[in-house]
Amino acid sequence: MELNVPEEEAHGDLRRGFHHELDDIRDDIAKLGAIVTENIPRATDILLNQDLDGAEKLILGDDEIDVAALALEERCYSLIALQAPVASDLRKVVAAMRIIAEVERSADLTTNLCKAARRIYGHPLNPAIRGIIQKMGDQATKLFKEATESYLAGDATRAAAIDDMDSYLDDLQREFMRTIFESHDAAKSSIDLQVAVQLAVVARFFERIGDHAVNIGERTQYLVTGWVRESLGAARHASRQAAGESE
Amino acid sequence: MAIANGVSTVTDHTDTESSSTVSTTTRPEVRNVSEVSLSSTAQTADSLDDSAPTVYDIEDLGVYYGDFRAVRDATLTIRQHEITAFIGPSGCGKTTVLRCLNRMNDFIDTARVEGTVLYHGVDLYDPKVNSTEVRRRIGMVFQKPNPFPKSIYDNVAYGPRIGGMKKKSELDGVVEKALRGAALWDEVHNRLDASGMSLSGGQQQRLCIARAIAVDPEVILMDEPCSSLDPIATSRIEELMQEIKRDYTIVIVTHNMQQAARVSDRTAFFITEINKESDRRTGVLVEFNPTEKIFSNPDDERTEQYVTGRFG
Repeated sequence: MELNVPEEEAHGDLRRGFHHELDDIRDDIAKLGAIVTENIPRATDILLNQDLDGAEKLILGDDEIDVAALALEERCYSLIALQAPVASDLRKVVAAMRIIAEVERSADLTTNLCKAARRIYGHPLNPAIRGIIQKMGDQATKLFKEATESYLAGDATRAAAIDDMDSYLDDLQREFMRTIFESHDAAKSSIDLQVAVQLAVVARFFERIGDHAVNIGERTQYLVTGWVRESLGAARHASRQAAGESE
Repeated sequence: MAIANGVSTVTDHTDTESSSTVSTTTRPEVRNVSEVSLSSTAQTADSLDDSAPTVYDIEDLGVYYGDFRAVRDATLTIRQHEITAFIGPSGCGKTTVLRCLNRMNDFIDTARVEGTVLYHGVDLYDPKVNSTEVRRRIGMVFQKPNPFPKSIYDNVAYGPRIGGMKKKSELDGVVEKALRGAALWDEVHNRLDASGMSLSGGQQQRLCIARAIAVDPEVILMDEPCSSLDPIATSRIEELMQEIKRDYTIVIVTHNMQQAARVSDRTAFFITEINKESDRRTGVLVEFNPTEKIFSNPDDERTEQYVTGRFG
């Protein structure tokens, strides 16, 4: 009988079980990320079509995502407790724990979108607003898909590009805010204040999903290279301190 | 400053907003993160002092047994009051390099050393150097505890006596100080006449450390000092190493990677190079870096593979 072990691992890996568990955890996180990636366009449709049944289903489904995220986190704790991971193994576990939190939080944001859909139920949205919601949904989906895939592939280059993709989502958010003001201000006032506020929050939810995708990208870069974005801020702080001391 | 300014702007803003309603409320002053003391007990790569005085400068060290080359091209610097760990698989030359640091290889007739081992700038292998003096300044603790078949007291007093110390009161002081230094005094002070061999393994090893520090060395070389000890005795030795590194410079060879990670400041990783034609094995120094770096993100791919167990 042949063991199902990739050839490069068949030689010399002294901790095969541990390393397989590391890979399994990554794959399972990516699966969870894929579910969230699918939920973003679902939530967008729910919002646009005022689909109350869909909203209910997606909100209930979030509990399952929480269960899965918790289980994954537990597996990471076990590896730390039992396997004393170091170097790239340690980075994999640490990155996994951070990314689980990002995925879980993003799932929460899709439920928030559904809750917003309930609150604006019965208020028709004008084409300008619908158009931008669709664009934001598309872009957030794209970002999250890219984040999940680059994490699964361990591709630091792809992960680094997510930050740039996010700036388009940020632009959309600003454009959306302008459109909301215009729609609210217009003489015919197509949306009332309550809806305007809900829509502003919706824009924020999409934008936050994009930020979580960027975080996943950063954690992916960290797991591949050991680099963390916060080191940029730390370097700036150090140089300011040095400048302050020399004055 | 920019952070503090940013924070205070925000605070001012909220204050003006709330002043009309709750003007008497005093809120805690917002502090800059750097003013808040964040305790950090972990030794990080950043906290290592690269300007700490050098004890050993080892350059292109090669060691031969006859015409067999056991180690080649080892270059590293060992700094004062640091713990330097040597790790690597069996036969990688880590113990051989350790034994070069106090000329223990002199006892092997065929052993020959190439390159330089500078101890405080002095070539350790200069013929004019007195090897006995070298071993007084550079003590050694071995894998198996090896107390002399003498009393606890005589074990510790052995070195100082050879050094010419005769007065009982003086010897008493040295013995107590060394046993306290090795964290053994409380356990043995009422039975100093008992045989060193009657102690437990962990106590025997601490007795050997007491014996090593009784002659007031500068460096302590440890060759797998815990490999015959149980986990509790091992923890005691590791704890002791942390305590005494204030006074000594320690170099430790260990098979236990986690031990190197726990106790050392810097780690040297060696591997065995196998000559396919002659099947001869030569130890090579692959990477020498702060321990935190070796176990978080080493420079060399081979180090990464070794510490993560991807090759043996």
